[in-house]
Amino acid sequence: METLLAFLTIFTQPELLLLVGLGTFAGVYVGAIPGLSVTMAVSILISFTFSWPVYPAIALMIGIYMGGVYGGSRTAILLNIPGAPSAIATAMDGYPMAQRGEAGEAIGITTVMSFLGGFVGIAVLALAAPYVSDFALTFQPRDYMLLAVLGILLVGSLSSGSLIKGIFAGALGLVIGCVGMDPLTFDERFTFGVPLLQSGISFIAVMIGMFGVSEALLQLHHLQAPVVRQKIDRIVPHWSSLRRHLPLSLQSSTIGVLIGALPGTGGDIAALMAYDHAKRVTRNPSRSFGTGAIEGLVAPESANNAAVGGAFIPMMTLGIPGDAVTAIMIGALYIHGLNPGPMLMVDQPGMFWFIVGALVMANVFILIFGLTGIRIFTKIVEIPRAFLIPLILLLSIVGAYAVNNAVTDVYWMLGFGLLGYFMRHYGYPLGPVILGVILSRLLDDNWRRAIISERGDLGAFFGGLFSSPLSTVLLLVIVAIFVSQTPLPRLLAARLHRHRAA
Amino acid sequence: MQQQDRGDADHHDGTADAAPGGYGDRRRPGELAFALTMVAGSAVLVWNAYGISGFSSMSSAGAVPLALTAVMALSALVIALQTLRRRRVATETLVRDILPPMVIVLGLGLLAFGLLLEPLGFVPTAALFLVGAIRILARCRWRVALSVGLGSLLVIWLVFRLVFTVLLPPGLLPEAELIGALRALMGGA
Repeated sequence: METLLAFLTIFTQPELLLLVGLGTFAGVYVGAIPGLSVTMAVSILISFTFSWPVYPAIALMIGIYMGGVYGGSRTAILLNIPGAPSAIATAMDGYPMAQRGEAGEAIGITTVMSFLGGFVGIAVLALAAPYVSDFALTFQPRDYMLLAVLGILLVGSLSSGSLIKGIFAGALGLVIGCVGMDPLTFDERFTFGVPLLQSGISFIAVMIGMFGVSEALLQLHHLQAPVVRQKIDRIVPHWSSLRRHLPLSLQSSTIGVLIGALPGTGGDIAALMAYDHAKRVTRNPSRSFGTGAIEGLVAPESANNAAVGGAFIPMMTLGIPGDAVTAIMIGALYIHGLNPGPMLMVDQPGMFWFIVGALVMANVFILIFGLTGIRIFTKIVEIPRAFLIPLILLLSIVGAYAVNNAVTDVYWMLGFGLLGYFMRHYGYPLGPVILGVILSRLLDDNWRRAIISERGDLGAFFGGLFSSPLSTVLLLVIVAIFVSQTPLPRLLAARLHRHRAA
Repeated sequence: MQQQDRGDADHHDGTADAAPGGYGDRRRPGELAFALTMVAGSAVLVWNAYGISGFSSMSSAGAVPLALTAVMALSALVIALQTLRRRRVATETLVRDILPPMVIVLGLGLLAFGLLLEPLGFVPTAALFLVGAIRILARCRWRVALSVGLGSLLVIWLVFRLVFTVLLPPGLLPEAELIGALRALMGGA
């Protein structure tokens, strides 16, 4: 009964409902405006909702998150610029459709499929999270440590293709998270004798710098990019088209929710895998893939929205984010005094069901806002970047300042903005930095718990890794990721090939 | 990810966090200097981490920082060596493709914003920044820059100061009186 009441909170309080709607609306447009991304929006917004009560703040942020994941597909379709990592696959067939003058149909089908995928993801979240949470209570500290390492490694290796740059970025994030007084021994770490550093570096300043300032500065390279006039006509898709693609949508949603549920993998990987799946199973696509096949839109869009529900599973039950956006969402929960992890479900089950309710509502709003308001949409996405960039920078400054009312945070934001700017230019992924900052405390605490329980004996610690099946599997996956980046698998494959040929 | 999938064929700058920039096989202008700076920075951090508690125990405050900075330094070194071996992209220059004057100007503008924020207050500093930045970026007339800049600042101030109740340095502006008057106006309506 309490569960049901918590779930229905969002539907019974008009203020919360309005905030989810507002958030989703803003998210769709933020995702759709080139130069703005959902990571940027959520990271800036965290600081503004800092002083709010927890329910309204979470309601607004969930709206933005869901709306942004969907909105990213619009720029992918209309301009071939994926607004979010999860929309990369959408551009492959969406943009060719827009070039043929079928942008309306592409957006329509994308909206409905995102809605369907979103529901599958939320349903799995609601059904599976309580069980995963129960299972997670049996995890040893070393398992948490391994999961954190795995998450950072996966984000690093899959997002950039260069594992070593991913490792560097992840380690950098973890070190940033260590700055300040050690919570156990009160030793100073990386403070360089500066009293200001004793309380650590505000992770909001890091986030806004990396995702707000660096992105705004990068957009300066594209100031001269012409404003593309949108021509969109019919947007509500035909019923027959929806019915024909329903099976593919459900298959892709399953892929999405499974991939999303793995720590460290989010909507981007899910969308690419679903796209690949669609290519394999579709015998007679509407057109060949890559030239405007509707199937090439249905699969990634169902999958990336299903992955949102999936990604909330490790986020809420283990406290381990799936990607940069979920890392920022975890940051938001921390700020409001919540501690995502298995104890959240035990201590505050109401919060979990409230979030599920908010996700459901945000998904419904996606359908409403996605299929209406095209006239305003075309006007908003045509705002020139020269007006947008100063506004983003101003909001970033306000955001960084607002949390602690300290100008120092503005300087941190600027510093990390510049670092992020160069990192982007030179192919270092930023996702692992944020994941590192968020997971630093979890990694440090669990390492110390694990090693203290083994009385500081490193041999016993490694022995323990092989005494539990879960630890062994996690360790093997981590080793496999490292090995996959060395020349070893290629050498082995070549040798096997030669052996077979002989 | 392959270069051709990124959708930014002209500048490999990682536009949007969808895809990091850079080339897989060549180095961009300044990339080696950046990689070497990261090596130097990591080395300083390793030394600092060692200073926390040395190698005293596996569960000490410095154990995890030392391990992490070692990973950082080692990976930075590998990246620097890889970068060193790559040929430079012949078609790009530092000033045009990596750090154009506009980025430096706006970066300095942000720094000035930080410096002036508390003495001048949020509204005057933001007005100067917004109008100046829009004028420079859009290359529009002063009239346009002033109306867009001040108009959007008014909306931002109303939304964030009144709706989000974000505290911003008042500085020269008699903010408390202004908000009081606004509330009275809305309450009286």
